[in-house]
Amino acid sequence: MYLFRIATVTCLAVLTIATAGMAAGVGVDKDKTLAAQPKANSIAELVARYDSSSCIDCHQQAHDEWSKSLHARSIFGTGRTAATFRTALINGTMDWPASGVKNFKDVKVEHLMGCAKCHLPQLADATDKVAQEIVTTINAWQDALRNDDEDKAAKAEKTLSSLNINCLICHNRNAITHKWTDGYPKKDTVYGSKDGEHPDGKFTKLAKGQVMSESIMCGQCHGLGPNFELENPTQCATGYGSYLFSYVPNGGNKTCQQCHMHESKLGHDMQSYRSKAMSDKAVDMKVTTNAVYWRDNTTIKPKVALRVALTNNAGHGIPDG
Amino acid sequence: MPIPQQLGKGDRMGRGPYEKSGLIEDTALHPLKTQYIDYDLFFPMKTEEKGGKKVSSIASETLDLEVKLWYLPFGTMDDDPFLWKEYKKTVKISTSGK
Repeated sequence: MYLFRIATVTCLAVLTIATAGMAAGVGVDKDKTLAAQPKANSIAELVARYDSSSCIDCHQQAHDEWSKSLHARSIFGTGRTAATFRTALINGTMDWPASGVKNFKDVKVEHLMGCAKCHLPQLADATDKVAQEIVTTINAWQDALRNDDEDKAAKAEKTLSSLNINCLICHNRNAITHKWTDGYPKKDTVYGSKDGEHPDGKFTKLAKGQVMSESIMCGQCHGLGPNFELENPTQCATGYGSYLFSYVPNGGNKTCQQCHMHESKLGHDMQSYRSKAMSDKAVDMKVTTNAVYWRDNTTIKPKVALRVALTNNAGHGIPDG
Repeated sequence: MPIPQQLGKGDRMGRGPYEKSGLIEDTALHPLKTQYIDYDLFFPMKTEEKGGKKVSSIASETLDLEVKLWYLPFGTMDDDPFLWKEYKKTVKISTSGK
């Protein structure tokens, strides 16, 4: 029995070491990324870590374009996104017996990652205190709306909108998909279209991002289907799956960026159907009509034979999801 | 539109990303494909008595057609509908002939 206890303790020790090793992660220079700093303890700290306000001085146009997009308010969205975070907790996590969540106070970062994987990937670089702060703020926003307290609602909305997919998420944190091949994103580097120096106090270098103009860049979030890496898989965007398995096999050869940024002339204001520039181009509707007299032995029924032809010119299924 | 499968099993549709994990039906428009939908729209008829018999004839030789392609993100017209395309035409049918 004593031996068994020793063996158990030894096994637990080995498991603990192994787990700690996994937390640190493998990969050369992974510890030199923005993500690898000590975890942020508050929304303000997380916002500060990925603060891209200094980009505005030189990249005003890109910033102004981006600020019109939902990337600029990826948690709040139109309000519906924030509401869905809450619904996902109430109808999902709290309803699942093995999730460990009985009420909002039990919510941890991992519980939010089903949404945050894409709506706030940098949440993985924060403590559970931040998860709690997000949940509390969403609840405060909804309470304020119910109580017609516009000031409180606006304050909560502002806090939630400070969390977003900004310059540094795409041009640094998530700029490299194949980190063992291309290296981990360096915390002093902005990844874009060229190498060189970057006139900024914190981000002093430019590097050519290997996937920055490739569809896989967007595919990181506009995904394949169920996210199986999660304990309870979610499925939201499936655009990249449709792109890979339907658009390309049908002869498509454009990238996401070509349509959503360049041809649309929307730049960093990446939009979908709510933008006329996108919706007009995405679907063709052709209607043909033929007025005829239909008849059987005893009846004549004049009718219009109407054919609607819908052609999807987009690089993914419509609707997505 | 794609009809997601609830938690990846069975025949029930899931709602919300936390439930969606598969497809039980897919009526999406797929990229670079054309989908055809046919409708038969009948002209309104009127019935009159002629020589003691009921005779049907066309009430109007024209039919105003309106085709609208709606995207309903939440499945109904009550919640954030988006009018994607619209087509209007007045179709005429002949009134002569046997």
